[in-house]
Amino acid sequence: MIENARSLNIVAGLILLTGMVYILAPLYLALATATQSYQFMLRNGIVWYPGDQLLANVVRIFTETRIPLQMVNSLIVAVLDALITCVLSFITAYALVFFPVRWGSVVFALILATIMLPLDIRVITTYQVAANIFSPLNALFDSTGLNGLLDSMFGVRLALEWSVLDTHFGLIAPLVAHGTGTFLFRQFFLVLPKDLVKAARMDGAGPLRFLIDILLPLSRPSFAALFVLTFLSGWTQYLWPLVASSTPDMQTAVVGLARLSPDSDGVMPDFPLIMAGAVVVSIIPLTMIALLQRYLVRGLVLSEK
Amino acid sequence: MSAIDSAIRAAATSIVLDGVSKSYDKGAEVIPPLSAELRAGEFTVVLGPSGCGKSTLLQMIAGLERVSAGAIRFGSREVHELEPKQRGCAMVFQNYALYPHMSVFDNIAYSLKVAGMARAERLQRVEAAARMLALTGLLGRKPGQLSGGQRQRVAIGRAIVREPGILLFDEPLSNLDAQLRHDMRIELAELHRRIGATTVFVTHDQVEAMTLADRIVILNKGRIEQFDTPRTIYHKPASVFVARFIGSPPMNILPVQGDGSTLRLASGEVLARSSLKGSYQLGIRPEDIQINNGPLQVKLRYREELGSHSVLAVEIAGNLIRISTPFGSDIGSRDTFAVNFPPERLHLFDAGDGRAIPYAFTRAKALADA
Repeated sequence: MIENARSLNIVAGLILLTGMVYILAPLYLALATATQSYQFMLRNGIVWYPGDQLLANVVRIFTETRIPLQMVNSLIVAVLDALITCVLSFITAYALVFFPVRWGSVVFALILATIMLPLDIRVITTYQVAANIFSPLNALFDSTGLNGLLDSMFGVRLALEWSVLDTHFGLIAPLVAHGTGTFLFRQFFLVLPKDLVKAARMDGAGPLRFLIDILLPLSRPSFAALFVLTFLSGWTQYLWPLVASSTPDMQTAVVGLARLSPDSDGVMPDFPLIMAGAVVVSIIPLTMIALLQRYLVRGLVLSEK
Repeated sequence: MSAIDSAIRAAATSIVLDGVSKSYDKGAEVIPPLSAELRAGEFTVVLGPSGCGKSTLLQMIAGLERVSAGAIRFGSREVHELEPKQRGCAMVFQNYALYPHMSVFDNIAYSLKVAGMARAERLQRVEAAARMLALTGLLGRKPGQLSGGQRQRVAIGRAIVREPGILLFDEPLSNLDAQLRHDMRIELAELHRRIGATTVFVTHDQVEAMTLADRIVILNKGRIEQFDTPRTIYHKPASVFVARFIGSPPMNILPVQGDGSTLRLASGEVLARSSLKGSYQLGIRPEDIQINNGPLQVKLRYREELGSHSVLAVEIAGNLIRISTPFGSDIGSRDTFAVNFPPERLHLFDAGDGRAIPYAFTRAKALADA
């Protein structure tokens, strides 16, 4: 097999190279396009070689579009999504793993179900609830006949209304309700030595002290990994921010990017501007990955030495 | 004697188990009602095969598991409703269960910190414990940077720093290699002699039990088979279970029939004289069988040379038994040779429940003499 190793390495290298080209070529094309001017593109189409208009395009992004404000929106959504998801997942997993929860496995199965039912396929019902948070309550009153009773007694019907569409809360809340983080923390807690909890109890630490003094410091890599993953997914969300925000000032950067292409047919979109926007918008998640990459790997590899 | 020693010695109390039992919701009874008194300052080893309930028993004493019924008293104080920290006992775990993110100092000091002890006193206590366990140079390290034996000592330090009157050990040596286990055994014995805490030590290793214990509790399926000194347990096992569990190689057990004057194997060989009638189990330790002289013919199946002694596996009327002899004992090249079962070395057990029948042979001898 030693003779074969070299040729095997060459083949493996070639496959890797093909994969890299396949992934990087579109990125390069986007970058190259971002350096051309609109007029150049109208004359020559999309070309593979770079031009000298990158700075001008970036300046136009900051002066002529709402992308900077929308990036702030994206940042708020992504950071809060990541933070709240981390906290909720951590607490939920703590309860599921360390306490004898009645129907614990059922609860866990329900949490896992949210992974199999992503926001994209329940976007319509989620929109309905976001349009009026009380709609489930109203429906309950209607279906149980309570409203009929109220109507006949007082001549009024209960119909509460509170829309969270076009608010940051409305953008974030549905994204947070997701079981991946709970799953991640649960798996991490399960590989911790069982005696750790007992040792802490013998040392006199109650559930809260154990959570804060022992579990939290040990979970740091998992926290970092989950934070990065959730941040990235929050930053790149498209469908939900598209339907949940109606005014440009509340839209996120990714939605704003898509809106840069004109709605009317027949007009050639300003691809250099859009690509420059794409480059600007990806800088934040790229920085994030560069800074926290170490933790990303450590947090997803579950063993703690 | 440092402050820790005297504080622990003063705090050491007896442990009284009064009809303690444990069963789980689904109805499985792990420990049927069990009573015992472990004396103050005594080193008690709870010995049994895995799954016999010994760890459960220890955790009930510690307060990590609730008792289903019965009472546990430390001295005269009822503790079975108290949280672990209120009981005044400390525990060393099998996998050490050190906090991986804390330094050795913080690991040892954690219980004092939780209890709200002032910083200066904490420092003093940890240093005293560290000195006692030769950990002084390692206080700044993380558990991951320590060897197995050092981690074990940190775990012990974490236990004794609170000056508990009662120390509980849950198979603390089973993760160490043979040499280290031997060294730690000696260290533990010394530590116990020095601090004098009432100690309960759970293990499945009979060597640990025999060497460390003042008294051994042998558990089988949650029941106490025997609770006595290592010496008595070895020489007067209370049941077939104990006889087989203690001693290496284990005691030979042969089914015999009593006809009023002799005990015989089913095939007719007379193994002993006795006035008993009925079915019994006859036991004899491998090292008590005399070879090359005697009324019984055995056939050699194989021999193991172990350096200090030899173990011969022989067949007697279809039953395989082991004989332990001094190394290289000459049985020649013969396949069959003679052995003798000295009557004073025989043990007799009931054929049904396996309980020992005490003085079976001394009484028989007395009857014969009369």
